[in-house]
Amino acid sequence: MKITRKEENGIVAVAFSGRLDADSSPVADKAVKEILDGQTDRLLFDLGELEYLSSAGLRVLLSAAKEMKRRGGKIVLCSLNEFVKEIFEVSGFQSLIPITDSVESGQQMLA
Amino acid sequence: METNTADGESILLVDDNPTNLQVLYQTLEGVGCKLLIAKGGELALSIAAKALPNLILLDIMMPGIDGYEVCQRLKSDPTTANIPVIFLSALGETGDKVKGLQMGAVDYITKPFQPDEVIARVNTHLTIHRLKQEVERRKDELEHELEVVSVVQRRLLPKQLPTIDGYRLAVRYDTSRYAGGDYYDIIGLENNCWGFLMADAEGHSTPAAVLMAMTCALFRAYPGVASDPAQVLHYLNEHLCKVADPSFITALYAVYDAGRQTVRVARAGHPLPMIYRAAEKKAEELSCPGVFPLGIEAYEEPIPVAETKLQPGDRMLIYTDGLTERFNEPGEAYGEQRLLQQLGTEAGDDPQKVLAAIIEDVQRFAGQHPADDDQALLLGIVSK
Repeated sequence: MKITRKEENGIVAVAFSGRLDADSSPVADKAVKEILDGQTDRLLFDLGELEYLSSAGLRVLLSAAKEMKRRGGKIVLCSLNEFVKEIFEVSGFQSLIPITDSVESGQQMLA
Repeated sequence: METNTADGESILLVDDNPTNLQVLYQTLEGVGCKLLIAKGGELALSIAAKALPNLILLDIMMPGIDGYEVCQRLKSDPTTANIPVIFLSALGETGDKVKGLQMGAVDYITKPFQPDEVIARVNTHLTIHRLKQEVERRKDELEHELEVVSVVQRRLLPKQLPTIDGYRLAVRYDTSRYAGGDYYDIIGLENNCWGFLMADAEGHSTPAAVLMAMTCALFRAYPGVASDPAQVLHYLNEHLCKVADPSFITALYAVYDAGRQTVRVARAGHPLPMIYRAAEKKAEELSCPGVFPLGIEAYEEPIPVAETKLQPGDRMLIYTDGLTERFNEPGEAYGEQRLLQQLGTEAGDDPQKVLAAIIEDVQRFAGQHPADDDQALLLGIVSK
């Protein structure tokens, strides 16, 4: 799994690629926590290159969403592939974390 | 814990030359270990086996059996295989060093040696050896604890499946490591109804096992009759929200009415139940809109409950995603489609046989690739 991060117009965009599962989630969790240590209140997760997401991965995304809610910030997940989208639907997570089709629409939602 | 103590530690010095032995002895007198000496290979082997030193400094060129052979024999005996060996020899060629290291030696010092270098290397390898032993000990301790957790956890599962009028059950429960996060339970309700709970705490091993045990305790303490699937999930969620963060538990609760052969289902983040309709010879997922998993936050909307009627020969499978997310070597998941196909397998009406056929197919699919999640399956077949 690869995680890249960039900051633009007050939005921290984090792109995950590869598999976010039990093996890679500790690394992802640490990376997300480091980002949340900052003052960020606009968080965009670009999942366009994410191939697989397990429940351990869901927990990482959920922790970020909970923290953003706590600090009154906003979070959005963008560009989920069909498989990842289905996981969100079956697991009911789409009602916990906003999802959108593209990074552009995600940026608008956070603007 | 004292890991740095040299108490009781010993080093075995092996050299056929008494002068060399004496120099080595004097060099290492200050490291705080008991020093043992052997003037030949055979003697070295017998002292090593008896005294189990923490480190062996081994000369290569010796009459009788040489250092290479001593090393080989030490490494092939399980009791001495873990003792680190440092070769000490006048041979300075790279090839000899490589040969020594390939035989399992940890280091190689060329004679004539610098006393400071010998002391430094000896101390380094003693430290590595101590840490290695410590890691081994901790690993054994942890495995033992997990085994205990696993035994306790299995006692939380139903000891045997109940006999239900016109509905035969079979179950399968496997954890990927010692302890796991999957949990199922079956309870008898009023009016010939039965409650089936299937739950999956996120993660594996001890943290998941603790949440699994919590879910079990809560479910067994449900106030009243657990005949409303939505209320049961509300109740579990209310209590699990206080303890689960940052984790969560997916759950499905089904109430089967054995008199009317109907089933009512509610689910929280859990995979949909699968139903095989015998008349159509077709399996499908029971459409059942759910809520997010237990333990995250309160449900503000009502939890939807889906209901369906089963016919003789119909099969209902509730399971955890360790089954459908079992991977093979190329990295493909077993998946819901293949599981649906297998649910319709021609294995007769014995749920044990149908379940065995499913498991066999999953094994066939996964091949040598190990399971990295826990899996639980509960299958019921309506009698004809």
